[in-house]
Amino acid sequence: MIYLDHAAATPVNPKALQAMLPYFAEQFFNPSAPYLPAKRVREAYENAKAILAQVIGAKSVDLVMTSGATESIQLAFTAARGKVLISKVEHAAVLETAKQFDYGLINVDKAGTIDLDNLRAQLTDEVELVSVALANNELGTIQPLAEIAEILREVRLDRRARGIKTPLFLHSDASQALNLIDISVARLGVDLLTLNAAKVGGPKGVGALYVAHGVRLKPLQYGGGQERGLRAGTENVPGVIGFAAAAEEAKAHLAGNRKEYQEMAFALKRELAHTSIVSQIGGKVNPVELKYLGNPKRQLANFVPICLPGIDAERLIYKLEQQEIYLSTGAACAANKGSKSHVFASIGLSDEEIAGSLRISLGSTNTLEQMPVVANALAEAVAEELARTRRAHG
Amino acid sequence: MARRVFLGMSGGVDSSVSAVLLKERGYDVTGVYMKNWSEDLPGMKCPWAEDLADAKRVAVGLDIDFEVWDFEAAYKQAVVDYMLIEFKAGRTPNPDVVCNELIKFKLFYERALKSGADFIATGHYARVGDTEGESLSPFLDSPRPAGGGRSEQATCNDRLARTGLEEDIELSFSTLPAKTLLRAVDENKDQTYFLYRMSDEALRRTIFPLGELTKPEVKALAFQKGLDVANKKESMGVCFVGEVGMKDFLGRYLETEPGEIREQETGKVLGYHDGAVFYTLGQRHGLYLGGGLPYYVVGKDLEQNLVYVSKNLNHPGLWARELELTDIHWRAGFSAQKAAKMPELRVRLRHRAPLLPAGLELTGNSTRLVFPEAIKRPAAGQSAVLYSGEVCLGGGIVA
Repeated sequence: MIYLDHAAATPVNPKALQAMLPYFAEQFFNPSAPYLPAKRVREAYENAKAILAQVIGAKSVDLVMTSGATESIQLAFTAARGKVLISKVEHAAVLETAKQFDYGLINVDKAGTIDLDNLRAQLTDEVELVSVALANNELGTIQPLAEIAEILREVRLDRRARGIKTPLFLHSDASQALNLIDISVARLGVDLLTLNAAKVGGPKGVGALYVAHGVRLKPLQYGGGQERGLRAGTENVPGVIGFAAAAEEAKAHLAGNRKEYQEMAFALKRELAHTSIVSQIGGKVNPVELKYLGNPKRQLANFVPICLPGIDAERLIYKLEQQEIYLSTGAACAANKGSKSHVFASIGLSDEEIAGSLRISLGSTNTLEQMPVVANALAEAVAEELARTRRAHG
Repeated sequence: MARRVFLGMSGGVDSSVSAVLLKERGYDVTGVYMKNWSEDLPGMKCPWAEDLADAKRVAVGLDIDFEVWDFEAAYKQAVVDYMLIEFKAGRTPNPDVVCNELIKFKLFYERALKSGADFIATGHYARVGDTEGESLSPFLDSPRPAGGGRSEQATCNDRLARTGLEEDIELSFSTLPAKTLLRAVDENKDQTYFLYRMSDEALRRTIFPLGELTKPEVKALAFQKGLDVANKKESMGVCFVGEVGMKDFLGRYLETEPGEIREQETGKVLGYHDGAVFYTLGQRHGLYLGGGLPYYVVGKDLEQNLVYVSKNLNHPGLWARELELTDIHWRAGFSAQKAAKMPELRVRLRHRAPLLPAGLELTGNSTRLVFPEAIKRPAAGQSAVLYSGEVCLGGGIVA
């Protein structure tokens, strides 16, 4: 198997898995129970939260553990009552949540990078929350969060000077980024940050929301007052312990992983150029243009989004899966719903280009040796598709 | 030159195996997913997306063309709106009959012809016969296979041998002989009940690759060919309502109010329903009238929003010796007069229900089915489909 969809899901890191195992059947106690073994579980849980907080330069008291990024996002948006602004390339979890508010969409350029002037222009006095993903989930585009934070800081100062009391918060969905970017909440300047275990070698169904001091949220569920009353319900002890272990691992190998993914991405591009979908397969008759989406200078190291206009990328996926090579057309949810990606549409791709777009996201399961195999398989699949479409009917 | 076939592919086992069979026979196959309904349903976003992916995966595996044709607007009008009108009128319509008549064997057929099709194909269990009612090979212009157990090699050789033959037969529509619609070999799966209104013109150019196979054979083939959909659960007809259920669906489109459930014999109020339109003659589930002997719906009064029930299984409302038919469709070569004279006339009142002997009586404008003994009365709006031997003669709507 060659798995190229790490942006959709990652295998659980072996260390994370080991860390979790005792907390299913042995240390199963409710961390809120009064006896000693339960207290030990509480300690392990709090310790895990502290580790996770440390990974992003925060304190555990700043973290609310959730059932995943989608819940973290819902909770983050409770900071706003008035208008919210989001980028045009946000994940559906952000986009659909924003639609519950008066919302505005911030333009992006061809690489999916947010247009800061457009952000400034839309930052009217009623805006209470701006939400921009740290890294886009379809293009891997890294957003200039610190610059966005600076703009918001200026606006806050200006509002204060004018006696306007409307708060203004910055939320960022960092689901895709924790294992590739050294995240420090202070450096990013965010008030709210969404994290997701499943994309960084942790278990599915676990997420976290970093909440800066002074940000008032409204709980989505009520009960036993866990997580500072912001997220009632018995803690997901093994899940959170697994998340912390995975995040710690990711942080420890951040630079090495990034370098490795860069090399693989480079090798893949080189191999693709050699097998040359362009010269060899396309020939002079009907050359297929191979384009890379996004700006590699501002892209997660593991992302290789490619575009083959005129080719049906979905067919390539089904062809490659026969060789146990798995990749995707875009966000898994969007692909599954059969709708075209709003992200690709927002960066100005034509319908034909969207239909020809593939998302390759590298990760822990990949090796350099796999890249020529992938390039050849892809080129072969494209060749077969061209042969099929050229075959005269009847 | 390979004949061009457009095959309706739903992502299910039947149409997937059909694709395999057509491809093996050397046809130039284009799979088409008919998108009939894209509205989200409660608790289900785009329920069709997975089926589309399944269909496409099979098509890509066979290296055949695959397209998505959007019939949503037409489907809404021809099938959904029709259904709602019928339910509002107190009848229980059969959407699959209408879908086949107006979408699959009309719009799909027409578009396929325009796109260069020699034939269309679907995964229905039905067969095509000549005018004498003799079964033809499902693969119209190819010879019948010489027994089962053909190897890949044999299939390939067959195909090569056949290509020469085929070029002699220039099949234009005008020269195609009339065809009859025959029941499937698998009596348990026969779908002619849903097909009796499909046009004769479309039938001349239709291939039912599964007509001579049984469902277990089709499933076995799916496994043998390594199709991922081999284990897929059978869809239960009405494509767009799917798993959500007719009642939930109707509830969204029809304004309904709660009303009384009365015992037919005594007029006693036994309970309450949430809208008389939801109830069908003979229904005994979903009444929530408590334990004991079951009650059956024996009638309803839409004006008063009343549902009448009875414990009496012999209640006359549940049984009939005669059924008045309306909106009758006769297949080419048949007529009421001809059918009335047929000694061995059979009728099917529900999909998969047994064939019942019946006579056809014509008086004035009235066409009635007469049964030798009382039958369970089908709900108004359902189809009664007539057969002589294997041949589907046509049918009508129960008044």
